[in-house]
Amino acid sequence: MSASGGTPRQTIVLQKERHLKWRSLDVVERALMWLSGLLLATFTVTVFLDVVTRTTGTPILWLQEVTLGAFVWGVFMGGAAAVRRNEHFLLARIARSLGGGRRLVLETISHVILLAVAIFLAVYGFAFALLGLGLYSQPSGTPLALTTAAIPVSGILIALFTIERLVNGWQGGFESDEDDLYQTYAEEGGAGE
Amino acid sequence: MSDLMIVGLMAFLFVLFGVLGVPVPFAVIASVIVGMLFTEISPVTIVAEMFNGINAVPLLAVPFFILVGELMASSNVTERLVGFAQALVGHIRGGLAQVVTVVSMFFAGISGSSSADVAAIGRVMLPPMKREGYNPANSAALVAAASTIANMIPPSIMAIVYGAVGGVSIAALFVGGVVPGVMVGLGLMIYSYFFGFSESVRERAPFAEVVRKAGGSVLPLLIPFMIVGGILGGLFTPTEAGMVAVVYTIVVVIPLLARGHLRNLPRDFMHAGVLYSLPMMAVAGASALAYVIAYLRAPTAVSGLVEGIAGTNATLIMVLIVLALVIAGDFLDAIPTIVIATPVIAGLVELGGIDPVHMGVVAIVTLAFGLITPPYGLALLLATTFAEVPFSRGLVKSLPIYVVFFVVISLLVLFPGLVLWLPGVFDLV
Repeated sequence: MSASGGTPRQTIVLQKERHLKWRSLDVVERALMWLSGLLLATFTVTVFLDVVTRTTGTPILWLQEVTLGAFVWGVFMGGAAAVRRNEHFLLARIARSLGGGRRLVLETISHVILLAVAIFLAVYGFAFALLGLGLYSQPSGTPLALTTAAIPVSGILIALFTIERLVNGWQGGFESDEDDLYQTYAEEGGAGE
Repeated sequence: MSDLMIVGLMAFLFVLFGVLGVPVPFAVIASVIVGMLFTEISPVTIVAEMFNGINAVPLLAVPFFILVGELMASSNVTERLVGFAQALVGHIRGGLAQVVTVVSMFFAGISGSSSADVAAIGRVMLPPMKREGYNPANSAALVAAASTIANMIPPSIMAIVYGAVGGVSIAALFVGGVVPGVMVGLGLMIYSYFFGFSESVRERAPFAEVVRKAGGSVLPLLIPFMIVGGILGGLFTPTEAGMVAVVYTIVVVIPLLARGHLRNLPRDFMHAGVLYSLPMMAVAGASALAYVIAYLRAPTAVSGLVEGIAGTNATLIMVLIVLALVIAGDFLDAIPTIVIATPVIAGLVELGGIDPVHMGVVAIVTLAFGLITPPYGLALLLATTFAEVPFSRGLVKSLPIYVVFFVVISLLVLFPGLVLWLPGVFDLV
């Protein structure tokens, strides 16, 4: 379900809704895509090693910690990338059927709500991660904060991408030629249930 | 403000934010934040509950099965499955419509995701269906309906989340979903037979061709047997089964069937890495919402309400749960619905003395049905996009198909044996 056409490097950064993206942040999206892939590969390998070492009678207990850590980071990094790529599930697409001022108002409201949630995740995620500095995963003894830090980092990235969309939308309008989230989603391949 | 009013406010705000265009996971979190302001729950607790919601080993199976679906589709292995299905049932009245259902049942045993199913099968099947004179809206409706089988036949992502959140055996949910999945499949085939979409009739494929096509598809078709066999044989957990499926696909299936695709693996991992985060972000948000709802004692209130209507009559309780899930599934993504509803359902299951596996499978089939109902019919939205027809036209053509789901869900509620027989054979219930 890969994006069609172009070299892999070109297709890593989604080109749809280009007018809502700053080229300077493409590097962040590309890095997040690579990171998401690497994290998925990491916990695939650690689950594999976990099974192998257990079967051979030489279990490595910290593998499960690495597995869950990579999974949690993958969720929040992939979730942040999906905000820039506008791939999250939507309940309705009312704004997309509108134009002009009404669309601007609706898009602004929805982006402000998203921004508020992102700031909530960044601020209170940071507080939660600080609590995790005093808690240690067993058996490795590494601070739980290493895993929970994914939440504030994701919050910051989501806030950044939301501001990017908001500012570009105000400057050039939110309308685009491919005004259909599900087209994007379908071309990239669906997920979930 | 009373506890139930706060719950009502959160529900209203979720729908409002969703309608305004806020992505589902963030609409859930935003409504939770507002609800939290009326309680003594701290913001850090909300974040902690989001974290706890996804910090669970059983959920790791979700990315693995999404990755397998991604690998199969992007390496064009799906086309082999289509070829085999065509040789098997392409000659039956309904032709390609029958093929869509059968290949969806095959793919269901590999990916566990309706969206992956629509993307993979819609792309391969919709163009030839259009060429052979099938109405594109009919085709889209059928592709979407058939894709829901992915949630019933193992591996099922919904079953993994339901089992992980509700503490129900994922293996039992997997096995219990087989008969309902086949029932929906047969229902769709009967529908296609009597309401055939095209006059085009194909020749029955010679036996030798069927065998040849089967040979070309045997490697991917081994995956569901490997998964279920491994779990039932006690060789591995559902999570490990997912990993085994990934390793098997990368080490055996792709090198043997699509060697040239190996260089694209990094891109598949990247896409799957983002794709699995979508339902998991929704799980994180829904976990926080489920915590607040439990804090406000809503499950107890709902149990009391249901007890007042249905007493302890198991069938009536299940009917009420199904109705509630049909409504919820119309507005909310299935995964967050499972996370939010499961604690409430658990109380009702106890009240009516219902088998948790029976309830779980019925809930999954009902929520899968929600994937083709408006306004949040994700599978139908995707299929109509691929077929290049308006959602409303696909919806109209879906209405007769709803009958199949009504019949199947009713039978499952009335006859628990349809769900529990197969898990019973393997001593899972």
